[in-house]
Amino acid sequence: MNYFNSLVVSGLVVGTLYGLVAMGFAIIYKVSRVLNFAQGEVMMLIAFIGYSVALRTDGSQPMVILGVMLSSVVIAAIIERLIIRPMLGQPIFSIVMMTIALSVLLKSLISLIWGSDPMRMPGVTSVATLEFMGVMLQPAQLVLIAVYLLACFSIWAFLRFTLMGIAMRACATDPTVTMLMGLSIRHLYRLGWVISAMLAGLSGLIFANIYHVGLDMGHVGIAAFPAAIFGGLDSVLGSAIGGLVIGVAENLAGGYIGSGYKEVASFGIILLVLMIRPHGLFGEKDIERV
Amino acid sequence: MRTKTFKQSTSQINALFQYRDTWFWYGLVLLLLLLWPWVAPAYMVNIGTMMLISVIGAVGLNLVTGTAGLISIGHAGFLAIGAYTSAILFTDHHWPLFPTILASGLISACISLLVGIPSLRLKGLYLAITTLAFSIITTTMILETTELTGGSAGKQVTRPELFGISLESNSAVYYLSLLISVLTILGALNLMRSRIGRAWGAIRDYDIAASLMGIHVRGYKLLAFTVSAFITGVSGSLLALHLRYLNIDSFTLITSVEALTMIIVGGLGSVRGAVLGAIIITLLPEISSRLFALMGGNMQSLSSANFPELKGVIYALIIMLFLRFEPDGMTSRWDHIKRFWSDWPYSRKPK
Repeated sequence: MNYFNSLVVSGLVVGTLYGLVAMGFAIIYKVSRVLNFAQGEVMMLIAFIGYSVALRTDGSQPMVILGVMLSSVVIAAIIERLIIRPMLGQPIFSIVMMTIALSVLLKSLISLIWGSDPMRMPGVTSVATLEFMGVMLQPAQLVLIAVYLLACFSIWAFLRFTLMGIAMRACATDPTVTMLMGLSIRHLYRLGWVISAMLAGLSGLIFANIYHVGLDMGHVGIAAFPAAIFGGLDSVLGSAIGGLVIGVAENLAGGYIGSGYKEVASFGIILLVLMIRPHGLFGEKDIERV
Repeated sequence: MRTKTFKQSTSQINALFQYRDTWFWYGLVLLLLLLWPWVAPAYMVNIGTMMLISVIGAVGLNLVTGTAGLISIGHAGFLAIGAYTSAILFTDHHWPLFPTILASGLISACISLLVGIPSLRLKGLYLAITTLAFSIITTTMILETTELTGGSAGKQVTRPELFGISLESNSAVYYLSLLISVLTILGALNLMRSRIGRAWGAIRDYDIAASLMGIHVRGYKLLAFTVSAFITGVSGSLLALHLRYLNIDSFTLITSVEALTMIIVGGLGSVRGAVLGAIIITLLPEISSRLFALMGGNMQSLSSANFPELKGVIYALIIMLFLRFEPDGMTSRWDHIKRFWSDWPYSRKPK
């Protein structure tokens, strides 16, 4: 039972990471119906930038966080301007292929610039771990859970109460009418990309603090797909919860069957969800009018 | 002088080639390809084999992604399944040649049903995600089932005999690939001009309209995916014969992206485009390493040390630039040039 508990708890912790990245998918998908296959690579890039900032500043946390936030805004703006916006109005196939190409490009560039060996984040000292339900947790993992809860709450509040948030939801429902109301769709798309990159950057930074900085971070981006599908691709909070489910399922499969079967478990969940409830647990059903 | 081509009957639209002399030119190309192992050095024959195998794979992927409009990022998975099936049947069970190739195709087609049935019920990008996940799962499973596939150590492939002729020589594998690629191209061309191919095109262009015209959208999507997986499995089987040694590193995500680059460069939805793209992209590493060697010094050492990364950068840039500036690919550029000259004095832009 203790083994089971510890698997579940550490699965939940990994799941919060997946959830954060999956929220990034969902935000972009909700606003612009674009599935960003480069989410994991954007996260990796920002984490590597954070690593470089930490190297220069002797691991001072405020500088690293500032660098990560700034670079995620800049990177999202560049990607949106150079890659996504020229393709608007093109078939969805072209836009998605663009993001796939972007993911390959970013991964190759990262390994050209920083090399392919995993690196320890400077300034991370091993601190005493805390025990929770028989599981040892690092402080960074507690920070991760706090960030996750904070991100869920603030995105919920943003979409519910602020003008831009309501505009984004309007855009998700009907872009044409949103334009007629005098809102700039381009601004909303850019905002979507920026929020998503900030979520990716935060999760990348925390991943780097818990584990390391390396090319295998792209795996988190791939594990976040099942999470987003589980919760519903257009439901931001649903994707966050989907992350927890995928994290626990992966960990259970890894613990009881074999570590290679982690990904098989999440894939199995995708297939199940698509068969039973195709629009996800919290997603909206697509109704098509001709 | 031929000014324009007017099609006056459906049989002209349905013809395999538009003009009779096309047969002559393609026959000439085929003759040259047949003579290739006699005149070219062994190294070039190997490149030729690789090119033909890529042509088969690209034509297969183009049926599902180009013609039917469904994105698959996991075709490396089908390639791996085909290759490992062949390796196991050849090496461990000593199956004869053609049954093994057929079995490789069929097994990957069956697995495509497993991936396709849940994800093709839905519209949108679900297939892209599930195929991505599928190719990662396939890689994991191949690594895990060590006693069957050799795991991370890789697997040796013994080449079988055919009618008493040993396939040990590289040119024998070349001729086999040539035969199968010609069959694949003819098969794909014939599919494209049949009801099935037109139904796929209709689904890609507007699926609701297609279903109103009585096309069973789900069935045809699944058919496209399965046929494509079959062809990819066959090309995987040839790849196993060609490489003689399988390693999981040849079947990663970058392989799928490479295949997508081929059909985007060549032209989506056209068999000629897929062939053209496959040839260009197979030659690309050769050309680019020659170029880097020409630049000499620093660039050469950089390119030899980081070749996989540079390859990724080049593929990604090619995909982006083509999608942005030439979304219909090389084959449409070829059509433009042809039309320019056939219409000549009238095709000049007025000043």
